[in-house]
Amino acid sequence: MAKDRSSSSDFTGPLRRLLLAVLVLALTGIFLLWRIDSPRVERFRAQVTDRFVPNLDWAMAPVTGTINLLRDFQSYQRLSEQNRELRSELRQMQAWKEAALQLEQENARLLDLNNVRLDPRLTFITGTVMADSGSPYRQSVLLNVGARDGLVEGWATMDGIGLVGRIAGVGKNTARVILLTDASSRIPATIQPSGQRAIVAGDNSAAPPLDFIENRELVRPGDRVISSGDGGVFPAGILIGQVAADPGGRLRVRLAADYERLEFLRVLRHHGNEKVPDTAQVITSDGPLADPAAPVGVEP
Amino acid sequence: MTDLSRSRLWLMRMGFVGLGLLILFFHLLPLDTTPRSWAGPDLLLGFACAWGLRRPEYVPALILALVFLLADLLLQRPPGLWAVLALIGVENLKSRGRHLRDASFAAEWLAVAVVLSLVILGNRFLLGLALLPTPSWTLNLTELAATLLVYPVIVLVTHGIMGVRKTAPGDLDALGKRV
Repeated sequence: MAKDRSSSSDFTGPLRRLLLAVLVLALTGIFLLWRIDSPRVERFRAQVTDRFVPNLDWAMAPVTGTINLLRDFQSYQRLSEQNRELRSELRQMQAWKEAALQLEQENARLLDLNNVRLDPRLTFITGTVMADSGSPYRQSVLLNVGARDGLVEGWATMDGIGLVGRIAGVGKNTARVILLTDASSRIPATIQPSGQRAIVAGDNSAAPPLDFIENRELVRPGDRVISSGDGGVFPAGILIGQVAADPGGRLRVRLAADYERLEFLRVLRHHGNEKVPDTAQVITSDGPLADPAAPVGVEP
Repeated sequence: MTDLSRSRLWLMRMGFVGLGLLILFFHLLPLDTTPRSWAGPDLLLGFACAWGLRRPEYVPALILALVFLLADLLLQRPPGLWAVLALIGVENLKSRGRHLRDASFAAEWLAVAVVLSLVILGNRFLLGLALLPTPSWTLNLTELAATLLVYPVIVLVTHGIMGVRKTAPGDLDALGKRV
Protein backbone atom coordinates (compact mmCIF):
# COMPACT_ATOMS: atom_id res chain seq x y z
CA MET A 1 0.00 0.00 0.00
CA ALA A 2 2.65 2.45 1.03
CA LYS A 3 4.74 1.40 -1.92
CA ASP A 4 1.94 2.26 -4.27
CA ARG A 5 1.68 5.72 -2.76
CA SER A 6 5.37 6.45 -2.79
CA SER A 7 5.70 5.40 -6.40
CA SER A 8 2.99 7.87 -7.33
CA SER A 9 4.79 10.58 -5.35
CA ASP A 10 7.98 9.66 -7.21
CA PHE A 11 6.11 10.47 -10.32
CA THR A 12 4.80 13.86 -9.19
CA GLY A 13 7.74 14.63 -6.90
CA PRO A 14 10.01 16.47 -9.33
CA LEU A 15 7.11 18.53 -10.63
CA ARG A 16 6.12 19.50 -7.13
CA ARG A 17 9.70 20.37 -6.27
CA LEU A 18 9.95 22.52 -9.38
CA LEU A 19 6.76 24.37 -8.42
CA LEU A 20 8.13 24.93 -4.93
CA ALA A 21 11.39 26.28 -6.32
CA VAL A 22 9.51 28.64 -8.62
CA LEU A 23 7.35 29.86 -5.72
CA VAL A 24 10.37 30.42 -3.48
CA LEU A 25 12.12 32.34 -6.24
CA ALA A 26 9.03 34.41 -6.95
CA LEU A 27 8.52 35.34 -3.29
CA THR A 28 12.20 36.16 -2.83
CA GLY A 29 11.99 38.24 -6.00
CA ILE A 30 9.04 40.19 -4.57
CA PHE A 31 10.98 40.86 -1.38
CA LEU A 32 14.07 42.03 -3.29
CA LEU A 33 11.94 44.18 -5.59
CA TRP A 34 10.32 45.75 -2.53
CA ARG A 35 13.73 46.41 -1.01
CA ILE A 36 15.03 48.04 -4.18
CA ASP A 37 11.94 49.85 -5.42
CA SER A 38 9.79 50.26 -2.35
CA PRO A 39 7.30 52.93 -3.55
CA ARG A 40 6.08 50.86 -6.48
CA VAL A 41 5.48 47.75 -4.38
CA GLU A 42 3.93 49.84 -1.60
CA ARG A 43 1.53 51.25 -4.17
CA PHE A 44 0.66 47.70 -5.14
CA ARG A 45 0.13 46.91 -1.45
CA ALA A 46 -2.19 49.90 -1.12
CA GLN A 47 -4.15 48.65 -4.13
CA VAL A 48 -4.48 45.15 -2.69
CA THR A 49 -5.63 46.58 0.63
CA ASP A 50 -8.00 48.86 -1.22
CA ARG A 51 -9.55 45.94 -3.06
CA PHE A 52 -9.66 43.62 -0.08
CA VAL A 53 -10.53 45.46 3.12
CA PRO A 54 -13.57 47.52 2.04
CA ASN A 55 -15.26 44.24 1.09
CA LEU A 56 -14.96 43.13 4.69
CA ASP A 57 -16.27 46.35 6.14
CA TRP A 58 -19.84 45.14 6.44
CA ALA A 59 -18.63 42.44 8.83
CA MET A 60 -15.81 44.34 10.51
CA ALA A 61 -17.88 47.16 11.93
CA PRO A 62 -20.41 44.94 13.78
CA VAL A 63 -17.78 42.50 15.05
CA THR A 64 -15.59 45.33 16.34
CA GLY A 65 -18.63 46.89 17.95
CA THR A 66 -19.63 43.64 19.64
CA ILE A 67 -16.15 42.96 20.98
CA ASN A 68 -15.83 46.49 22.30
CA LEU A 69 -19.25 46.12 23.89
CA LEU A 70 -18.15 42.97 25.70
CA ARG A 71 -14.96 44.70 26.81
CA ASP A 72 -16.95 47.58 28.15
CA PHE A 73 -19.21 45.27 30.08
CA GLN A 74 -17.23 45.77 33.26
CA SER A 75 -17.61 49.49 33.03
CA TYR A 76 -21.35 49.06 32.49
CA GLN A 77 -21.55 47.45 35.89
CA ARG A 78 -20.49 50.72 37.44
CA LEU A 79 -23.00 52.56 35.32
CA SER A 80 -24.87 54.45 38.01
CA GLU A 81 -21.67 55.55 39.69
CA GLN A 82 -20.27 56.73 36.40
CA ASN A 83 -23.50 58.49 35.61
CA ARG A 84 -23.26 60.53 38.80
CA GLU A 85 -19.65 61.46 38.08
CA LEU A 86 -20.46 62.45 34.53
CA ARG A 87 -23.36 64.61 35.65
CA SER A 88 -21.23 66.57 38.07
CA GLU A 89 -18.58 66.91 35.39
CA LEU A 90 -21.21 68.09 32.94
CA ARG A 91 -22.25 70.88 35.31
CA GLN A 92 -18.68 72.09 35.49
CA MET A 93 -18.38 71.82 31.72
CA GLN A 94 -21.46 73.95 31.19
CA ALA A 95 -19.84 76.73 33.16
CA TRP A 96 -16.74 76.36 31.00
CA LYS A 97 -18.80 76.31 27.85
CA GLU A 98 -20.39 79.59 28.79
CA ALA A 99 -16.95 81.07 29.36
CA ALA A 100 -15.69 79.63 26.08
CA LEU A 101 -18.59 81.07 24.13
CA GLN A 102 -17.98 84.49 25.56
CA LEU A 103 -14.30 84.23 24.77
CA GLU A 104 -15.05 83.03 21.25
CA GLN A 105 -17.25 86.03 20.59
CA GLU A 106 -14.65 88.34 22.01
CA ASN A 107 -11.96 86.63 19.95
CA ALA A 108 -14.01 86.96 16.77
CA ARG A 109 -14.54 90.63 17.45
CA LEU A 110 -10.85 91.20 18.03
CA LEU A 111 -9.87 89.25 14.91
CA ASP A 112 -12.34 91.30 12.96
CA LEU A 113 -10.94 94.53 14.36
CA ASN A 114 -7.44 93.49 13.38
CA ASN A 115 -8.54 92.19 9.98
CA VAL A 116 -6.80 88.88 10.61
CA ARG A 117 -7.15 86.17 8.01
CA LEU A 118 -6.57 82.70 9.44
CA ASP A 119 -5.22 80.15 6.99
CA PRO A 120 -8.29 79.56 4.81
CA ARG A 121 -6.75 76.60 3.03
CA LEU A 122 -6.45 74.47 6.13
CA THR A 123 -9.57 72.37 5.87
CA PHE A 124 -10.08 68.76 6.80
CA ILE A 125 -11.79 65.54 5.79
CA THR A 126 -13.01 63.17 8.46
CA GLY A 127 -12.75 59.42 7.96
CA THR A 128 -13.51 56.42 10.12
CA VAL A 129 -10.96 53.79 11.08
CA MET A 130 -11.69 50.54 9.22
CA ALA A 131 -8.77 48.35 10.23
CA ASP A 132 -5.51 48.47 12.11
CA SER A 133 -2.13 47.14 11.03
CA GLY A 134 -3.07 43.69 12.29
CA SER A 135 0.31 42.91 13.78
CA PRO A 136 2.11 44.08 16.90
CA TYR A 137 5.18 44.98 14.84
CA ARG A 138 3.61 47.89 12.99
CA GLN A 139 1.39 50.72 14.21
CA SER A 140 -0.97 51.99 11.57
CA VAL A 141 -4.67 52.27 10.83
CA LEU A 142 -6.67 52.19 7.64
CA LEU A 143 -9.15 55.00 6.92
CA ASN A 144 -12.18 54.79 4.66
CA VAL A 145 -11.19 57.88 2.69
CA GLY A 146 -8.71 57.73 -0.17
CA ALA A 147 -7.60 59.18 -3.49
CA ARG A 148 -11.29 59.49 -4.39
CA ASP A 149 -11.56 62.16 -1.69
CA GLY A 150 -8.40 63.91 -2.84
CA LEU A 151 -6.08 62.55 -0.17
CA VAL A 152 -2.35 62.96 -0.76
CA GLU A 153 0.53 61.10 0.89
CA GLY A 154 2.12 62.97 3.74
CA TRP A 155 -0.93 64.83 5.02
CA ALA A 156 -1.32 65.10 8.76
CA THR A 157 -4.01 63.19 10.60
CA MET A 158 -5.42 64.09 14.00
CA ASP A 159 -8.27 63.16 16.26
CA GLY A 160 -10.12 66.09 17.79
CA ILE A 161 -7.25 66.94 20.11
CA GLY A 162 -3.81 65.99 18.89
CA LEU A 163 -1.75 64.69 16.02
CA VAL A 164 -2.18 60.97 15.35
CA GLY A 165 0.03 60.30 12.35
CA ARG A 166 0.62 60.92 8.69
CA ILE A 167 -0.90 59.46 5.55
CA ALA A 168 1.35 56.86 3.90
CA GLY A 169 -0.17 54.76 1.18
CA VAL A 170 -3.32 55.98 -0.57
CA GLY A 171 -5.64 53.65 -2.42
CA LYS A 172 -8.77 54.65 -4.27
CA ASN A 173 -11.10 54.15 -1.32
CA THR A 174 -8.70 53.74 1.58
CA ALA A 175 -5.65 55.41 3.04
CA ARG A 176 -3.17 54.14 5.58
CA VAL A 177 -2.14 56.31 8.51
CA ILE A 178 1.27 55.59 10.02
CA LEU A 179 0.79 56.37 13.71
CA LEU A 180 3.33 58.44 15.66
CA THR A 181 4.11 55.30 17.67
CA ASP A 182 5.27 53.29 14.63
CA ALA A 183 8.97 52.57 14.48
CA SER A 184 9.27 54.29 11.09
CA SER A 185 7.53 57.52 12.08
CA ARG A 186 9.65 60.72 12.33
CA ILE A 187 7.92 64.07 12.85
CA PRO A 188 9.73 67.40 13.28
CA ALA A 189 8.43 69.19 16.34
CA THR A 190 8.85 72.34 18.37
CA ILE A 191 8.83 72.28 22.14
CA GLN A 192 7.05 75.22 23.73
CA PRO A 193 7.71 77.51 25.53
CA SER A 194 11.47 77.19 24.93
CA GLY A 195 11.09 76.90 21.15
CA GLN A 196 13.55 74.02 20.92
CA ARG A 197 13.43 71.89 17.76
CA ALA A 198 13.32 68.10 18.03
CA ILE A 199 12.20 65.00 16.18
CA VAL A 200 9.42 62.82 17.57
CA ALA A 201 10.72 59.36 16.66
CA GLY A 202 8.33 56.45 17.11
CA ASP A 203 9.77 53.26 18.57
CA ASN A 204 6.77 50.96 18.94
CA SER A 205 6.07 52.13 22.47
CA ALA A 206 3.13 54.16 23.74
CA ALA A 207 5.24 57.29 24.34
CA PRO A 208 7.66 58.05 21.49
CA PRO A 209 11.04 59.54 22.49
CA LEU A 210 12.30 62.98 21.45
CA ASP A 211 15.47 62.89 19.36
CA PHE A 212 17.90 65.61 18.32
CA ILE A 213 16.91 68.19 20.90
CA GLU A 214 19.15 71.23 20.47
CA ASN A 215 19.54 72.04 24.14
CA ARG A 216 18.17 69.59 26.64
CA GLU A 217 18.53 71.92 29.62
CA LEU A 218 15.80 74.15 28.27
CA VAL A 219 13.26 71.36 28.01
CA ARG A 220 11.23 70.34 31.05
CA PRO A 221 8.67 67.59 31.54
CA GLY A 222 5.23 69.07 31.01
CA ASP A 223 6.27 71.31 28.10
CA ARG A 224 3.98 71.27 25.10
CA VAL A 225 5.17 69.58 21.93
CA ILE A 226 3.69 70.86 18.67
CA SER A 227 4.50 70.07 15.06
CA SER A 228 7.00 72.51 13.59
CA GLY A 229 6.25 72.21 9.90
CA ASP A 230 9.96 71.86 9.06
CA GLY A 231 10.47 70.21 5.71
CA GLY A 232 7.25 71.64 4.38
CA VAL A 233 5.31 68.41 4.33
CA PHE A 234 3.40 68.93 7.52
CA PRO A 235 1.36 71.87 8.73
CA ALA A 236 2.89 73.63 11.72
CA GLY A 237 1.31 74.18 15.09
CA ILE A 238 -0.64 70.96 15.63
CA LEU A 239 -0.54 69.72 19.21
CA ILE A 240 1.38 66.46 19.58
CA GLY A 241 1.54 66.08 23.35
CA GLN A 242 3.49 66.84 26.47
CA VAL A 243 7.10 66.16 27.35
CA ALA A 244 7.63 63.46 29.97
CA ALA A 245 10.82 61.89 31.28
CA ASP A 246 11.00 58.12 31.53
CA PRO A 247 12.81 56.40 34.44
CA GLY A 248 15.97 56.26 32.35
CA GLY A 249 15.97 60.04 32.05
CA ARG A 250 15.10 59.99 28.36
CA LEU A 251 12.62 62.60 27.20
CA ARG A 252 9.48 61.22 25.64
CA VAL A 253 6.18 62.62 24.42
CA ARG A 254 2.98 61.72 26.18
CA LEU A 255 0.67 61.90 23.18
CA ALA A 256 -2.37 64.14 23.37
CA ALA A 257 -4.46 62.07 20.95
CA ASP A 258 -6.47 59.25 22.50
CA TYR A 259 -4.80 56.19 21.03
CA GLU A 260 -6.99 53.82 23.03
CA ARG A 261 -9.96 54.58 20.86
CA LEU A 262 -9.16 55.77 17.37
CA GLU A 263 -12.52 55.86 15.63
CA PHE A 264 -12.85 59.07 13.67
CA LEU A 265 -9.75 60.80 12.33
CA ARG A 266 -9.38 64.16 10.63
CA VAL A 267 -7.07 64.41 7.67
CA LEU A 268 -5.83 67.98 7.30
CA ARG A 269 -5.64 69.19 3.73
CA HIS A 270 -2.25 70.77 3.40
CA HIS A 271 -0.87 72.44 0.33
CA GLY A 272 2.66 73.02 1.51
CA ASN A 273 4.11 75.89 3.45
CA GLU A 274 4.70 79.00 1.42
CA LYS A 275 8.39 79.71 1.10
CA VAL A 276 9.70 83.25 1.30
CA PRO A 277 12.25 83.79 -1.47
CA ASP A 278 15.11 85.75 -0.01
CA THR A 279 16.81 86.70 -3.25
CA ALA A 280 16.78 90.42 -3.86
CA GLN A 281 15.01 91.51 -7.00
CA VAL A 282 15.69 94.53 -9.10
CA ILE A 283 12.57 96.56 -9.54
CA THR A 284 12.20 98.39 -12.80
CA SER A 285 9.45 100.58 -14.09
CA ASP A 286 7.76 97.44 -15.55
CA GLY A 287 7.80 95.66 -12.21
CA PRO A 288 10.38 93.28 -10.79
CA LEU A 289 12.94 91.68 -13.12
CA ALA A 290 12.38 87.98 -13.74
CA ASP A 291 14.57 85.95 -11.45
CA PRO A 292 15.41 82.40 -12.44
CA ALA A 293 15.97 81.26 -8.87
CA ALA A 294 12.83 82.82 -7.63
CA PRO A 295 9.76 81.90 -5.82
CA VAL A 296 9.65 78.23 -5.40
CA GLY A 297 5.94 78.64 -5.46
CA VAL A 298 3.46 76.10 -4.31
CA GLU A 299 1.27 74.39 -6.76
CA PRO A 300 -2.36 75.08 -6.06
CA MET B 1 -16.03 7.74 -5.48
CA THR B 2 -13.27 9.57 -7.31
CA ASP B 3 -15.55 12.52 -7.99
CA LEU B 4 -16.60 12.65 -4.37
CA SER B 5 -13.06 12.68 -2.97
CA ARG B 6 -11.92 15.15 -5.60
CA SER B 7 -14.68 17.56 -4.72
CA ARG B 8 -13.86 17.05 -1.04
CA LEU B 9 -10.20 17.81 -1.80
CA TRP B 10 -11.09 21.11 -3.43
CA LEU B 11 -13.58 21.86 -0.68
CA MET B 12 -10.86 21.45 1.93
CA ARG B 13 -8.42 23.55 -0.10
CA MET B 14 -10.97 26.33 -0.31
CA GLY B 15 -11.61 25.74 3.37
CA PHE B 16 -7.97 26.51 4.14
CA VAL B 17 -8.13 29.72 2.10
CA GLY B 18 -11.31 30.68 3.96
CA LEU B 19 -9.63 29.95 7.28
CA GLY B 20 -6.69 32.17 6.31
CA LEU B 21 -9.04 35.00 5.35
CA LEU B 22 -10.92 34.60 8.64
CA ILE B 23 -7.69 34.83 10.64
CA LEU B 24 -6.63 37.92 8.67
CA PHE B 25 -10.06 39.43 9.23
CA PHE B 26 -9.68 39.14 12.99
CA HIS B 27 -6.13 40.49 12.80
CA LEU B 28 -7.35 43.57 10.98
CA LEU B 29 -10.17 44.48 13.36
CA PRO B 30 -9.24 47.87 14.82
CA LEU B 31 -9.48 46.77 18.45
CA ASP B 32 -6.08 47.70 19.74
CA THR B 33 -4.37 50.77 18.37
CA THR B 34 -1.93 51.28 21.24
CA PRO B 35 1.48 49.60 20.89
CA ARG B 36 1.76 46.37 22.85
CA SER B 37 4.88 44.91 24.39
CA TRP B 38 3.84 41.34 23.60
CA ALA B 39 2.62 39.57 20.51
CA GLY B 40 -0.17 37.06 20.07
CA PRO B 41 0.19 33.70 18.36
CA ASP B 42 0.70 33.45 14.62
CA LEU B 43 -2.42 31.37 14.01
CA LEU B 44 -2.00 31.30 10.25
CA LEU B 45 1.39 29.59 10.39
CA GLY B 46 0.18 27.30 13.19
CA PHE B 47 -2.80 26.09 11.17
CA ALA B 48 -0.64 25.73 8.08
CA CYS B 49 1.74 23.47 10.04
CA ALA B 50 -1.08 21.40 11.52
CA TRP B 51 -2.81 20.93 8.15
CA GLY B 52 0.44 20.29 6.31
CA LEU B 53 1.43 17.57 8.74
CA ARG B 54 -1.97 15.88 8.54
CA ARG B 55 -3.12 16.24 4.97
CA PRO B 56 -0.39 17.77 2.77
CA GLU B 57 -2.67 17.53 -0.25
CA TYR B 58 -5.13 20.00 1.33
CA VAL B 59 -2.49 22.75 1.49
CA PRO B 60 -0.55 22.71 -1.78
CA ALA B 61 2.45 25.01 -2.02
CA LEU B 62 0.69 27.43 -4.37
CA ILE B 63 -2.21 28.07 -1.98
CA LEU B 64 0.19 28.42 0.96
CA ALA B 65 2.33 30.92 -0.94
CA LEU B 66 -0.68 33.01 -1.99
CA VAL B 67 -2.23 33.08 1.49
CA PHE B 68 1.09 33.98 3.15
CA LEU B 69 1.78 36.67 0.57
CA LEU B 70 -1.66 38.17 1.11
CA ALA B 71 -0.97 38.17 4.86
CA ASP B 72 2.35 39.93 4.25
CA LEU B 73 0.67 42.58 2.14
CA LEU B 74 -2.23 43.19 4.50
CA LEU B 75 -0.27 43.08 7.77
CA GLN B 76 2.34 45.61 6.63
CA ARG B 77 5.25 43.19 6.67
CA PRO B 78 8.00 43.28 4.05
CA PRO B 79 6.17 41.49 1.24
CA GLY B 80 7.50 38.06 0.40
CA LEU B 81 10.03 37.56 3.18
CA TRP B 82 7.85 36.00 5.86
CA ALA B 83 5.91 34.21 3.11
CA VAL B 84 8.97 32.50 1.64
CA LEU B 85 10.28 31.42 5.06
CA ALA B 86 6.90 30.12 6.19
CA LEU B 87 6.45 28.30 2.88
CA ILE B 88 9.82 26.57 3.18
CA GLY B 89 9.06 25.69 6.81
CA VAL B 90 5.67 24.16 6.09
CA GLU B 91 7.00 22.29 3.04
CA ASN B 92 9.76 20.88 5.21
CA LEU B 93 7.19 19.70 7.75
CA LYS B 94 5.11 18.18 4.96
CA SER B 95 8.06 16.15 3.73
CA ARG B 96 8.57 14.87 7.27
CA GLY B 97 4.87 14.25 7.81
CA ARG B 98 5.12 10.64 6.78
CA HIS B 99 7.61 9.89 9.55
CA LEU B 100 5.75 11.94 12.09
CA ARG B 101 2.49 10.22 11.22
CA ASP B 102 3.16 7.32 13.51
CA ALA B 103 5.05 9.31 16.15
CA SER B 104 3.52 10.79 19.27
CA PHE B 105 2.15 14.31 19.52
CA ALA B 106 5.23 15.41 21.49
CA ALA B 107 7.46 14.62 18.50
CA GLU B 108 5.19 16.62 16.23
CA TRP B 109 5.15 19.52 18.67
CA LEU B 110 8.93 19.50 18.84
CA ALA B 111 9.24 19.46 15.05
CA VAL B 112 6.85 22.41 14.79
CA ALA B 113 8.78 24.25 17.51
CA VAL B 114 12.03 23.82 15.60
CA VAL B 115 10.49 25.00 12.34
CA LEU B 116 8.80 28.03 13.95
CA SER B 117 12.00 29.08 15.69
CA LEU B 118 13.96 28.77 12.47
CA VAL B 119 11.37 30.79 10.55
CA ILE B 120 11.44 33.59 13.13
CA LEU B 121 15.25 33.57 13.41
CA GLY B 122 15.61 33.46 9.64
CA ASN B 123 13.22 36.40 9.35
CA ARG B 124 15.31 38.44 11.81
CA PHE B 125 18.54 37.46 10.12
CA LEU B 126 17.36 38.34 6.63
CA LEU B 127 15.82 41.62 7.82
CA GLY B 128 19.20 42.51 9.31
CA LEU B 129 20.97 41.45 6.15
CA ALA B 130 18.73 43.70 4.05
CA LEU B 131 19.50 46.57 6.50
CA LEU B 132 15.90 46.78 7.64
CA PRO B 133 14.93 47.47 11.26
CA THR B 134 14.45 44.22 13.16
CA PRO B 135 11.57 43.87 15.61
CA SER B 136 12.33 43.69 19.32
CA TRP B 137 13.24 40.32 20.83
CA THR B 138 10.36 40.41 23.30
CA LEU B 139 7.86 40.60 20.45
CA ASN B 140 9.52 37.76 18.56
CA LEU B 141 9.89 35.50 21.60
CA THR B 142 6.37 36.11 22.89
CA GLU B 143 5.03 35.37 19.42
CA LEU B 144 6.98 32.10 19.29
CA ALA B 145 5.92 31.08 22.81
CA ALA B 146 2.28 32.01 22.21
CA THR B 147 2.14 30.07 18.94
CA LEU B 148 3.66 26.99 20.56
CA LEU B 149 1.33 27.19 23.55
CA VAL B 150 -1.68 27.49 21.27
CA TYR B 151 -0.50 24.74 18.92
CA PRO B 152 -2.23 21.87 20.81
CA VAL B 153 -5.49 23.81 20.62
CA ILE B 154 -4.91 24.37 16.91
CA VAL B 155 -4.39 20.64 16.47
CA LEU B 156 -7.54 19.86 18.47
CA VAL B 157 -9.58 22.24 16.33
CA THR B 158 -8.02 20.92 13.13
CA HIS B 159 -8.61 17.34 14.14
CA GLY B 160 -11.94 17.58 15.91
CA ILE B 161 -13.89 20.40 14.30
CA MET B 162 -12.44 20.67 10.81
CA GLY B 163 -12.02 16.94 10.41
CA VAL B 164 -8.49 17.16 9.01
CA ARG B 165 -7.00 13.93 10.31
CA LYS B 166 -3.89 11.98 9.64
CA THR B 167 -4.33 9.35 6.99
CA ALA B 168 -4.82 5.97 8.58
CA PRO B 169 -4.19 2.64 6.83
CA GLY B 170 -7.22 1.80 4.74
CA ASP B 171 -8.17 5.42 4.09
CA LEU B 172 -8.70 6.59 0.57
CA ASP B 173 -6.40 9.28 -0.70
CA ALA B 174 -7.32 12.20 -2.91
CA LEU B 175 -7.46 10.11 -6.04
CA GLY B 176 -9.64 7.46 -4.46
CA LYS B 177 -6.85 4.94 -4.06
CA ARG B 178 -6.10 3.12 -0.89
CA VAL B 179 -3.25 4.68 1.03
